[in-house]
Amino acid sequence: MEGKGIELNIGPVHPATHGVLKLVADIEADTVKNAEVEIGFLHRGKEKTAELRYFNSYFPIVDKLDYVGALNWEILWASTVEKAMNIETNERVKYIRTIMAEMQRIMSHLVYIGAFGQDLGNLTFFVWALRERELLMDIVEEISGGRLAPMYNRVGGVFYDFTDGIVEKIDSALLRIEEKVKKEYKAMTYENSLFMMRSKGIGIMSQKIIKDNGVTGPNMRAGGIKRDLRKDEPYLAYDKVDFDIITEEESDVYARFMVRIREILESIKIIRQLLKSIPEGDVKISTPWIMKVPPGYTFVRHEMSKGEGAMFLVTDGGLKPYRLKIRSPSFYSLQALPLILEGCKVADAFAITASIDPVMGEVDR
Amino acid sequence: MSEFIDSLIKISPKSLKISDDKVAVELADKKKLLKVCEKIKRKFDILFMLVVVDRPPNFELNYIFSKYEGKDTFILRTIIKHEDTIDSITKIFPSADWEEREAYDLFGIKFEGHHNLKRILLPEDWPGHPLRKDFVITDEVKNWTGLDLKF
Repeated sequence: MEGKGIELNIGPVHPATHGVLKLVADIEADTVKNAEVEIGFLHRGKEKTAELRYFNSYFPIVDKLDYVGALNWEILWASTVEKAMNIETNERVKYIRTIMAEMQRIMSHLVYIGAFGQDLGNLTFFVWALRERELLMDIVEEISGGRLAPMYNRVGGVFYDFTDGIVEKIDSALLRIEEKVKKEYKAMTYENSLFMMRSKGIGIMSQKIIKDNGVTGPNMRAGGIKRDLRKDEPYLAYDKVDFDIITEEESDVYARFMVRIREILESIKIIRQLLKSIPEGDVKISTPWIMKVPPGYTFVRHEMSKGEGAMFLVTDGGLKPYRLKIRSPSFYSLQALPLILEGCKVADAFAITASIDPVMGEVDR
Repeated sequence: MSEFIDSLIKISPKSLKISDDKVAVELADKKKLLKVCEKIKRKFDILFMLVVVDRPPNFELNYIFSKYEGKDTFILRTIIKHEDTIDSITKIFPSADWEEREAYDLFGIKFEGHHNLKRILLPEDWPGHPLRKDFVITDEVKNWTGLDLKF
């Protein structure tokens, strides 16, 4: 087709987009010439809310940042306030938090895998991934009482200790997930020729795009950059476990998918090591619910399931934060999205968008 | 890391000094921002985040830089008046693109030389900049419906 193309609005409520992401694409024939990302549809003013709440009362708000990776953000917020107050948590708390963070990472990656299958038109896969996720959700529910937004952490520790017999339950859940990922998922996705046709060689994110836009996490590791905060800047109990940083070279949609699959297996490895050596002790130290935090600046970053998340907390010695800035990893991945959408087919655009794993809750904040 | 900070301060001792909290390097002359950033670019890859803190009548801008190898980060702090503008660093650190738009959106800071400075999180006709300390919920905010937007 010669001449002017058309402008296609995708989203914010298009069923094939993730959450409320809006894409405005200039299309000629079947090719995306230019795409613009519009965000902000889920903006709830979380940074402003932080200035109005006590430090411990902010946990429920952090839960809804990345609603498929809530525990990761809870732990980051708890670590930030603890660092600002100069509190050192017990060893047991560090282990429990690491185990919970890794379980959340597996759950988050499973949602990614499921949503990705759905975007390719394979609904079976969505149901399968959620089936495995449910095993871990039940465990989180048994420990914390919550599922999607567990509200499990507090400043100085966690609310509840592990329940009796939970270690065996985690073990059997991990065994099942490992078996499914290695067999069923393999047949359905990463060694399935149809799946490979749909995902190989599209949406290539070069190292220049990654470095220009500050992309981190699995999206970056799929481009061959070997970096992981769990290894480079160990926090919690990550210095006590042995694991590999997963990298792929191709940096296409398939590579980004593979990184997640292999990271699930790596997380299982981490949890198993931790469960064997978890120390005894209290799960919280006594801190007042409403407390003053000494004035200053605190900067903490952790490896989230989607990349490097960080919090910059400014305190003035009062009961509430003076300013809190949240760095969302998906925010930066989305910044790179128009660049990798250029020149792709419209049908591939959905696969590419799904492959960078945007969660709008943390992008819009 | 401290060597890098020392070398940076040696280059322009007048405009740079270590801040009182000893975590950031303060930039006194905001016109030197681009020059300093060019030097930082030699050691750091990305703008990790841009934290604006409103301390009326000033804004405090904390530029946090990071790199893809190792765990080093570096904070550059500069203070501007509410009505001042500041140079955009997107030409040196492209990852600052959306961060600067966000700062413009929520605080109303104008970045000179930014190629696409418009609101990012809030609708285009939203009244005011909500993360400012002097932001009050007026009738205009309460009655805002978004129906004036042209689609």
